[in-house]
Amino acid sequence: MLSPTHRIIEALLFSAREPLTTEQACLALQETVDLGILVNELNEHYDQSQSPVWIQSVAEGYRLMTRPEFDPYVRRLFQSRGRVKLSASALESLAIIAYKQPVTRIDIDAIRGVDSGATLRTLIEKNLVAARGRQDGPGRPLLYCTTPHFLEYFGLNTIRDLPGIKEIEALFSDSAEQSEPQQDASE
Amino acid sequence: MSYNVKLNVFEGPLDLLLFFIKRDEINIYDIPIADITREYLTYIGIMESLNLHIAGEFIVMAAMLISIKAQMLLPRQVNQEAEETEDPRTELVAMLLEYKQFKEAAMRLRSLEEYQARYHAVQAHNPTTDFDPDLFLTDVNLLDIGRFFKKLLDKMPRPTYYQIETIKTTISQQSQIIRALFENRHRMRFSEIARRLKNRIEVVVTFLAILEMIRAAEISVSQKTVFGELWLTRKVQEPAHVIANS
Repeated sequence: MLSPTHRIIEALLFSAREPLTTEQACLALQETVDLGILVNELNEHYDQSQSPVWIQSVAEGYRLMTRPEFDPYVRRLFQSRGRVKLSASALESLAIIAYKQPVTRIDIDAIRGVDSGATLRTLIEKNLVAARGRQDGPGRPLLYCTTPHFLEYFGLNTIRDLPGIKEIEALFSDSAEQSEPQQDASE
Repeated sequence: MSYNVKLNVFEGPLDLLLFFIKRDEINIYDIPIADITREYLTYIGIMESLNLHIAGEFIVMAAMLISIKAQMLLPRQVNQEAEETEDPRTELVAMLLEYKQFKEAAMRLRSLEEYQARYHAVQAHNPTTDFDPDLFLTDVNLLDIGRFFKKLLDKMPRPTYYQIETIKTTISQQSQIIRALFENRHRMRFSEIARRLKNRIEVVVTFLAILEMIRAAEISVSQKTVFGELWLTRKVQEPAHVIANS
């Protein structure tokens, strides 16, 4: 059975535009709650009632989503939701940024062996990547990182959930200064 | 030798080289540089023959391949300090391996993208703090728009026009008419005159004419009851000097 708190969380999820965080839920409820537990209970309830929606843990928050089996119908009705897939070059650049962040454009170009300027602009426009600070050294180039929207787009909770990041890290273990502090914490 | 390569599929020279390596099942650590350079240059030739713009990166890679090939043809320097001489392909191999890793990572991102695309967020439209109700019209029909338009028109400062007409009726003219109406009678009802009056101005002027005639002692006015009929009585004097007065 759902408690009034569950129903409030449900209402918050329905009205939220971005993933709901624990802080937001506590603020709205005016009390300290474990949103993760409440979400699990809500998801159990959704499973039992064969609800067309469920709560996904994404971008360090929670978001109410339709279940994948309804995708064809939703897509048919809202054609704009049939997302345009990212180009191969965009994905390549994004992969480099995601696994090696923060990186400069020169780093990306060096790995891909091609100029990535236009691709990088597209990724910034799509709010998948953002410039965060500058690298010390000649020219003080901009450093690029992935955004919370990147996590949402790929259905990841944190950047640590990227598949195979350990293998990638092992590959660059000799260049430890390039690894993300966040990634180090996951070890 | 026929080439069955899809153009524009390659993201760059490294991608093209990886394609050759995969297709020919080449050991990435022992790349036959002579063969792969020939393949690579042939591909660039195809691009040229198709008048495709060849990005500078492809030329740079061609130069690198030729340079490696040249180094491999040269007799190896006997290096006594190092146990092994460095393979001129090392740098290229490192580049290919690094690129290959990220190409594979990109493919994993692709599958995540496809997986996540099947979920649709329950989307709420948040009212923003700078919400301006005037900018949003909800449930509006044509009638509402018409009503708003009218409201707007009503609020507008209306230009007001006053038409000033020259009053053609004159006091002397009306006096003449009154005199003519008397004919040979001495008394006459006001309503008899009023019947002939067409507009407000004529009424006003006729009244003024009557007052003037009273002032000139040409006529006198009497009324038996309040709001009752007005009686105009002609005096027997000659009206000549009255006309001169008016």
